[in-house]
Amino acid sequence: MNVVFAVKQYISKMIEDSGPGMKVLLMDKETTGIVSMVYTQSEILQKEVYLFERIDSQNREIMKHLKAICFLRPTKENVDYIIQELRRPKYTIYFIYFSNVISKSDVKSLAEADEQEVVAEVQEFYGDYIAVNPHLFSLNILGCCQGRNWDPAQLSRTTQGLTALLLSLKKCPMIRYQLSSEAAKRLAECVKQVITKEYELFEFRRTEVPPLLLILDRCDDAITPLLNQWTYQAMVHELLGINNNRIDLSRVPGISKDLREVVLSAENDEFYANNMYLNFAEIGSNIKNLMEDFQKKKPKEQQKLESIADMKAFVENYPQFKKMSGTVSKHVTVVGELSRLVSERNLLEVSEVEQELACQNDHSSALQNIKRLLQNPKVTEFDAARLVMLYALHYERHSSNSLPGLMMDLRNKGVSEKYRKLVSAVVEYGGKRVRGSDLFSPKDAVAITKQFLKGLKGVENVYTQHQPFLHETLDHLIKGRLKENLYPYLGPSTLRDRPQDIIVFVIGGATYEEALTVYNLNRTTPGVRIVLGGTTVHNTKSFLEEVLASGLHSRSKESSQVTSRSASRR
Amino acid sequence: ASLDDPGEVREGFLCPLCLKDLQSFYQLHSHYEEEHSGEDRDVKGQIKSLVQKAKKAKDRLLKREGDDRAESGTQGYESFSYGGVDPYMWEPQELGAVRSHLSDFKKHRAARIDHYVVEVNKLIIRLEKLTAFDRTNTESAKIRAIEKSVVPWVNDQDVPFCPDCGNKFSIRNRRHHCRLCGSIMCKKCMELISLPLANKLTSASKESLSTHTSPSQSPNSVHGSRRGSISSMSSVSSVLDEKDDDRIRCCTHCKDTLLKREQQIDEKEHTPDIVKLYEKLRLCMEKVDQKAPEYIRMAASLNAGETTYSLEHASDLRVEVQKVYELIDALSKKILTLGLNQDPPPHPSNLRLQRMIRYSATLFVQEKLLGLMSLPTKEQFEELKKKRKEEMERKRAVERQAALESQRRLEERQSGLASRAANGEVASLRRGPAPLRKAEGWLPLSGGQGQSEDSDPLLQQIHNITSFIRQAKAAGRMDEVRTLQENLRQLQDEYDQQQTEKAIELSRRQAEEEDLQREQLQMLRERELEREREQFRVASLHTRTRSLDFREIGPFQLEPSREPRTHLAYALDLGSSPVPSSTAPKTPSLSSTQPTRVWSGPPAVGQERLPQSSMPQQHEGPSLNPFDEEDLSSPMEEATTGPPAAGVSLDPSARILKEYNPFEEEDEEEEAVAGNPFIQPDSPAPNPFSEEDEHPQQRLSSPLVPGNPFEEPTCINPFEMDSDSGPEAEEPIEEELLLQQIDNIKAYIFDAKQCGRLDEVEVLTENLRELKHTLAKQKGGTD
Repeated sequence: MNVVFAVKQYISKMIEDSGPGMKVLLMDKETTGIVSMVYTQSEILQKEVYLFERIDSQNREIMKHLKAICFLRPTKENVDYIIQELRRPKYTIYFIYFSNVISKSDVKSLAEADEQEVVAEVQEFYGDYIAVNPHLFSLNILGCCQGRNWDPAQLSRTTQGLTALLLSLKKCPMIRYQLSSEAAKRLAECVKQVITKEYELFEFRRTEVPPLLLILDRCDDAITPLLNQWTYQAMVHELLGINNNRIDLSRVPGISKDLREVVLSAENDEFYANNMYLNFAEIGSNIKNLMEDFQKKKPKEQQKLESIADMKAFVENYPQFKKMSGTVSKHVTVVGELSRLVSERNLLEVSEVEQELACQNDHSSALQNIKRLLQNPKVTEFDAARLVMLYALHYERHSSNSLPGLMMDLRNKGVSEKYRKLVSAVVEYGGKRVRGSDLFSPKDAVAITKQFLKGLKGVENVYTQHQPFLHETLDHLIKGRLKENLYPYLGPSTLRDRPQDIIVFVIGGATYEEALTVYNLNRTTPGVRIVLGGTTVHNTKSFLEEVLASGLHSRSKESSQVTSRSASRR
Repeated sequence: ASLDDPGEVREGFLCPLCLKDLQSFYQLHSHYEEEHSGEDRDVKGQIKSLVQKAKKAKDRLLKREGDDRAESGTQGYESFSYGGVDPYMWEPQELGAVRSHLSDFKKHRAARIDHYVVEVNKLIIRLEKLTAFDRTNTESAKIRAIEKSVVPWVNDQDVPFCPDCGNKFSIRNRRHHCRLCGSIMCKKCMELISLPLANKLTSASKESLSTHTSPSQSPNSVHGSRRGSISSMSSVSSVLDEKDDDRIRCCTHCKDTLLKREQQIDEKEHTPDIVKLYEKLRLCMEKVDQKAPEYIRMAASLNAGETTYSLEHASDLRVEVQKVYELIDALSKKILTLGLNQDPPPHPSNLRLQRMIRYSATLFVQEKLLGLMSLPTKEQFEELKKKRKEEMERKRAVERQAALESQRRLEERQSGLASRAANGEVASLRRGPAPLRKAEGWLPLSGGQGQSEDSDPLLQQIHNITSFIRQAKAAGRMDEVRTLQENLRQLQDEYDQQQTEKAIELSRRQAEEEDLQREQLQMLRERELEREREQFRVASLHTRTRSLDFREIGPFQLEPSREPRTHLAYALDLGSSPVPSSTAPKTPSLSSTQPTRVWSGPPAVGQERLPQSSMPQQHEGPSLNPFDEEDLSSPMEEATTGPPAAGVSLDPSARILKEYNPFEEEDEEEEAVAGNPFIQPDSPAPNPFSEEDEHPQQRLSSPLVPGNPFEEPTCINPFEMDSDSGPEAEEPIEEELLLQQIDNIKAYIFDAKQCGRLDEVEVLTENLRELKHTLAKQKGGTD
């Protein structure tokens, strides 16, 4: 069920099968991202892959001494590119791997182009998704829906991605979907269709309990992507943005040239692997330890190496030191920038109110706190808008809803129209009317007592009290209590036992907070393995773009009264 | 029936018939089979049921045991990961689903290719016919007749326009026929094939008619580039003033097909330089992968004072491995600079390929070379050996006593000898130092039978094998050596066991005599009369108890290194302590407001609060970049680095970051490599380290200008020194070590330079200078 490993295995197999000799890896834009998530350059160099080329790049030189490994998505353009390539081959021999199902007719036209007989392999290797963590994958699609329905191109890409994931993990699942979402149902049907059509591919060894694919829609929980995060991975994504494990630090004041862009990958960065799920405070102390360790190993100039013993110690420590220095400077810079942003944007205070809005039901206190923060000049327009969004979502139907007043405050604060418009758009996207289940007030007795007890005990950490709605859904699913009227099975058969291997897919994007939840569920629930995926992995910024791309605000009806002043042109 | 005997209650595996106490279930079983098989069936049935009961009980017992183990296993697991499994720990899965289209692909391709091959072959056959006669000495008319017979020409009337360019044929624009396919074109569209080209094509086809249909044999061709066909190109230009008797007219299509064919022929024969060099490079790398582990094993053993391997062998091997590294470096450098001086310069992606090969070779050298530990010097080695011997002696003494005691115990108990001997063996396996005792403890004993030594077939075999090993080593067949060593070990185990048994036997009879013998032996051994024997005995021991030996040798190996670490720590404390205090006042608001109201709650939160409050002190200074602090604590570094110091303190990360960033263009770094003044493409010296290191010294540390007498020793191979430094033996140990360290540091400098980390280079060069100074001083003292 390890998705990183699954993709890596595919890539390793390709390289192995091509035998010894100098190799070039031919990829398209998407597969480049897929490969870069699982392999580092030095790792792949060791396997004699020396060049990485894009199939669409025009100025590739003829290099007959190289073997070409082509890893491509089976798109029309790629097939055309490779036909051209085969007509005038630039390399000795071609090993062609498609990341998904390719049609017979495409294979035929490829074969007819290969007049010089340079192709040695044509296969489908289903690494057609971005493997972020062992239990988290993404398709890097932003804006998958138009209104409430799928963008057809994105639906087919998502179907391909999801079926490729199933194939790479060798799972032929039963499918459940969120009834309240038309998009979820549609995707479920498409996946089912592929499974039926390619039934030969999906013939795997039967397990006692069949795996389960649960398809959800982001609009059921618009709260989670709006919150500030305090665990390392999630926080870095929220404040700096992670794109295929890469972090752009070019806007950090006084950044050195080498650290403009850094890579955070748990696969080969031990510190990151150990700390990605820890909260900011813990990371602070761990960074300090790392620094101290490093300083101990750093060769000091003033330290004269007087004796042979000194020399020996130095020489022994040198390689370790070298390895460490890169990690240290990277993490110190990242954490430094995070803490700068936290203090600059007053995020601790903002986050506290966010958490209150998400987890508690005290309207007057929440309103008061928002109003107070809106007066604070340190709070950015972005954070101000998100506070109002959270308020609008939570107290949408509250009797003394004072959203218009808050919108006025936003306006007075000078928050741009773009953000003010987004408030209504977010409500339209994930408001009560759309949600299939209740985000804020738990209904069943167990949950109520739980919340009650929680209130008595006090919260352990104000900033991380929020649990994504996904946690409850999965918890119910694992215990076999997920309601079938809300999450029906596709098709007649249902699962009698509790599920063991679960794949959850969130249309409209998952978040790193949810990834953490799934990680913890995996660690605490015996016998259960859960993999989380999404059309993308969101932070607040990208989530708002997603909302914007869905184009819902332009057709808003209900919230029009509330936001008529701000959304003047609709 | 006799079980009911009330007078006596006995336990254990009693035979129900004769009440004999048998030690185990199996013994009872066999006893019964042997002794009582002939007896009454009735009784037998009774016994059978008894036995079955016992079996059941035993099964139950075993089962419970198994369950217990399973339970404890899961418990341990649970406490480790709260019941679930961290996704990082998920058991590895098999390769995901795949589907091959190759057979389909081949089917379609074959259909297409057949057609293509037929076309080409047809053309070549015709070409052969056209060139089969002597064209220059034949009349034009006759040539024309022959040409017409090869392929039917298309009727002139059928083609009013040139099919290629569309121009109308007229008296001026005459029709021309392709001699290969008979089609018609205008003069402009006509191509010519020279006789040499034709000959090349036809002869190549004769040589290998079948190559065309086998896909594995580099079936290549390129339309765009037409290198290799210059002769035919030039012929086109000169077509006007020569009559084309020695050329064959053809259309562009046929010409294209033939040129493709020619290309294929060319490429089959042509191997670019880079491939040749690269193949050599890979061979070297394989050699290193093969030799380095062998060397590391040797060095580890030698450093532990063992005598399994000879020091000379090891140093030879070291030199050999180092030479291979040098070769790798030189080869990859050559690849890097391939074609740089050519005109036109190679394509950028070719250069990129060369850089990447060089980069990966550098990575390889870095990774493997830095793991190559140094060898002790001769004198050191002697010392190590002595120490180890003393250690052994001490242990032996202890063991001898233990052995004596156990013998006494043995004597006391006459019965159960066999089982106890077995027990003794088991115990020796279980306890840590026991394996040593097995071999060492009995060493004197076996020596005691000195005269009969060679008559023992086992010993003879052992001797043989040791000599085999020596031969195999000399021949460099390391895998054989390994299997032989394994054999030797087994033999010696066997021998040891034999000796043990003999010894037990002996000890029972002549314990006192033995003591005497041992004393004698002790003396004998001290005189090293038994030296050879001991050597391979110890050898066998090493392989068996290596981990143990390490533990013993560990302490005094570590001794020297521990001291400097504490030094370092002190230096650090001094250096870094003022830093927090200087930054702390700058963040009073943060540290005072945050922790108090923020992370409030149960005690667990207290832990969180601590780091949170201490962290900002450390990092939330105005700059927030802890590297500034670092710079504060080591201002010297910046000062000495000079002009390139901008961002130097962060430099070390550059390489590693890049490395993690696989699909980025690496131009900057590569430029740095290429522009590195210390890599001289045309440098004649094969040793990259010594050669390159002269330069930084001259450049970075001005006191050491050329002509410095202290620089001399760097060029000298430390192993050559062995023979030279023999007479001047005052402090040769130090010197050897110094030289080795110099070697190492040079490797690091090289490495650091590769990554462009100048500050490190600086520090390292400083160290190097220091070292050389010391060395020179010593030399001055001894000379």
